[in-house]
Amino acid sequence: MIAAIDIRCLRVDYGDFVAVNDLTLAVPPGEVFGLVGPNGAGKTSTFRVLATLMEPTYGEVFLDGVDVLEDHENARRIIGYMPDLAPVPTDLKVWEFLDFHAAAYGLGSRSQRRERVAECLEEVALTDQAGKWCKQLSRGQTQRVVLAKTLLHRPRVLILDEPASGLDPLARRELRHTLRGLAAGGATVFVSSHILGELAEMCTSLCVMNRGRLLASGTADEVRHQLGNTTRVLKITALARHGEAAEWLSSRHGVHDLRISGHQIVFNFTGDDETQADLMEGLIRLGIRLRTFEEKRSSFEEILVEVAETNRSL
Amino acid sequence: MKSGDSKTARDTHPAWRIWDNPLFLRYCRSRLRPRGLGVSLLITVLIAGFIVALCGSIGLRGRLGAADAARPGVIALLVLQSLVLFVLGTAQVAGGMTAERDEGVIDYQRLIPMTPMAKVFGYLFGLPAREYAMFLATLPFTAWSLWRGGVDWRVWLPLYLVLFSSTLLYHFTGLVTGTVVRNRRWAFLVSMGLVFSLYTVIPQMAKFGLVFFKYLTITPVFEECLPGLLPESAGRGLKAIHAFAPTVKFFGLDFSEAVFTAFSQGGLILTFAVMLRRKWRRAESHLLGKPWAAGFFVWIQLILLGNALPLIETGTLFPSHAFRRAGIVRVSVEAPLAGEAVAMSGIYGLATLALLFVLAGMITPSLDKQVRGWRRARKQGRRSLPRFCDASSSAGFVLGMAAVGATGWYLFTRGLVESRWFPGQAVPLSTLGYFIAVMAACGLSFQALLEGRGARVLGLAAIFAGVVPLMAGAVLSVISNRMAPAASWLIGISPASMPFYASGSLLSISELPVHLARAVPRAFHFWLIVLLLAACRLLIGLRAARRAMAAEVLREP
Repeated sequence: MIAAIDIRCLRVDYGDFVAVNDLTLAVPPGEVFGLVGPNGAGKTSTFRVLATLMEPTYGEVFLDGVDVLEDHENARRIIGYMPDLAPVPTDLKVWEFLDFHAAAYGLGSRSQRRERVAECLEEVALTDQAGKWCKQLSRGQTQRVVLAKTLLHRPRVLILDEPASGLDPLARRELRHTLRGLAAGGATVFVSSHILGELAEMCTSLCVMNRGRLLASGTADEVRHQLGNTTRVLKITALARHGEAAEWLSSRHGVHDLRISGHQIVFNFTGDDETQADLMEGLIRLGIRLRTFEEKRSSFEEILVEVAETNRSL
Repeated sequence: MKSGDSKTARDTHPAWRIWDNPLFLRYCRSRLRPRGLGVSLLITVLIAGFIVALCGSIGLRGRLGAADAARPGVIALLVLQSLVLFVLGTAQVAGGMTAERDEGVIDYQRLIPMTPMAKVFGYLFGLPAREYAMFLATLPFTAWSLWRGGVDWRVWLPLYLVLFSSTLLYHFTGLVTGTVVRNRRWAFLVSMGLVFSLYTVIPQMAKFGLVFFKYLTITPVFEECLPGLLPESAGRGLKAIHAFAPTVKFFGLDFSEAVFTAFSQGGLILTFAVMLRRKWRRAESHLLGKPWAAGFFVWIQLILLGNALPLIETGTLFPSHAFRRAGIVRVSVEAPLAGEAVAMSGIYGLATLALLFVLAGMITPSLDKQVRGWRRARKQGRRSLPRFCDASSSAGFVLGMAAVGATGWYLFTRGLVESRWFPGQAVPLSTLGYFIAVMAACGLSFQALLEGRGARVLGLAAIFAGVVPLMAGAVLSVISNRMAPAASWLIGISPASMPFYASGSLLSISELPVHLARAVPRAFHFWLIVLLLAACRLLIGLRAARRAMAAEVLREP
């Protein structure tokens, strides 16, 4: 199967600064694939190369088998690109902006275009704003108008740079539904954000970039594992015999930083799921009556901050 | 994609169907909204009506006939129309194009499936849509004045055709500037500066032998048509004057002013269109490809020579002739001075050198582009770069253009010096060798610095070797005549002085003042040798650097 997005050894330099460094990844068709990283990670540069708007220093990029660097025209037919900050012209109304793009993409007669524009506006829940000037829209509404423009010609590969920035929680949920719907319809969605949690909810798989380098890719769990952040905080509440339980736990492999606070024993655990289950089983065998056994993983945000800081200090 | 996957951009939006061009329609929509357009039209109609009424009233007061009274209105309306199309329209094109990039929406336009030329035409005619509407609003007044004044269609048709071609030329200038210059304010200033130069400054070079440049404006055609636009009595006198020089000479051919202006402007319009097409196809492209730049250089040389050479024998090419006609100088002798011929030769050389620098700057690849070119070649399994690609070295083309430019310069100089005005004088073939050496040394040094060291180093070199010696020499020379030889040595460092030094040193008619007669030729020969050696050194270094770069890139894993 041909990957919908196939990036090989991509490098983008701005003078002496390396924005994207040897990026290689493949995204199968029908996925909602997330690219996450802090500001300056190289996300926008990668997206601009994919969208044929920038020539990389070197590397190869294929979209649905089309060489982006050699065959601009065909590549542009299959992509829908939504840039970061999603600019809109200040001298057009929302429907005029969309109608212009529908005409440019050759989407049929005036009535056919009007129909398609209405469909896309409905998809982003902006039907009632069609007659408004683009410059009068709020940030979130502007994002949605540009998303509607991106969807007009039913692209096979959607490249969305920070589409959720500026959206309220409701609009984010709608965006999530829209993107999943598009992926279910066969389109491949490549979406970026600097908020990992946001992408984790939205994407079927994702990758993490920092300082131009790919740090991890896969499902959310795989990414967490690859980033080496398998530490979880476990909290146990026992009805009695806390000291005994704490002593037994301290002797187990993978248990660190154990502390007792009232009825609660809190510790960091670096073992896998199996050994975690063994802990619980062991405590019960000891005859310790457990009221709760809670697990708290580091949030994606914390992982990203940690990764960014580690990289900064290197 | 549901809608016509197999259709190409060329099928969907052919460039020639301007009325169906989405970009054109988008700008018609935004720039022809009743609120904004209404005010503009009202002001235009008021001014046009005022002009017609005032001209008619003045004519009647002067007891002119109805026809004669209406004619001056055509001229005044033409000025208004020129202001609307040339100034407002060009500013709109340049500013609108930069605003697109400023707002960031230009990226959307890059991605839409329209051919580069369709996009160019969409912007070219769409951005100044309101100015075209304002122009159209003046046409009823023009039509009335033409009808009332009984102006022959053979007078107004060429005039309005050239008005349109000039409009296209200036709008193309604005579009190229708006596309290339990234800062919105600078784009506006540069485009207006360029249009101002094209319309007023550069045509002044016609007075110094470079006749072609006056055909970048509407002026020659306007002057040709003027007798037909003036009241009968005034027009008759002008017609008689025009009868002496009724056509444009181009080598052995005769053209009307309108045809030659359209031809001259057409060449530039085509070149601008090529530049924009390249930029829309790939934003990183050079403005011109190497063969096109070389072809354009040859075309300019042909036009310059073709216009200038036929005017030497009549003496009309010489500045003194024009000054005498204008009554600026009172010279008892009809013959041109030797000094002005030497200066004209120098100016031709300098203009050629300037054009060589501009084109060399356009076709010379940056270091980054060279690396990308080699990587692309490696990807395609090549061991060398295609000769005409942007990343390949421009040295060969610059050398070729230098040779062509030097030949043009030589032919122009020989035409001047060996004319009937300077009997017994000749320009030996060795002068051609010197001219080639000057052009090649300056052009190749410029090219090698830009290609090998980058724009920053070239800029510094231009300041310290090109401008500072001129300024220092000028200051030194005004102190006293005793300092003049030292000043001429200092000025000789600058490549900009080379054409003048070459003409002053090599031409037999040259009459340098006594205190410069020895210094200038010596400085010329010395600095020419130094510049030639520097060019060779830079080229050798460049060649080695390119080889090392190629080897490194081809070796990369």
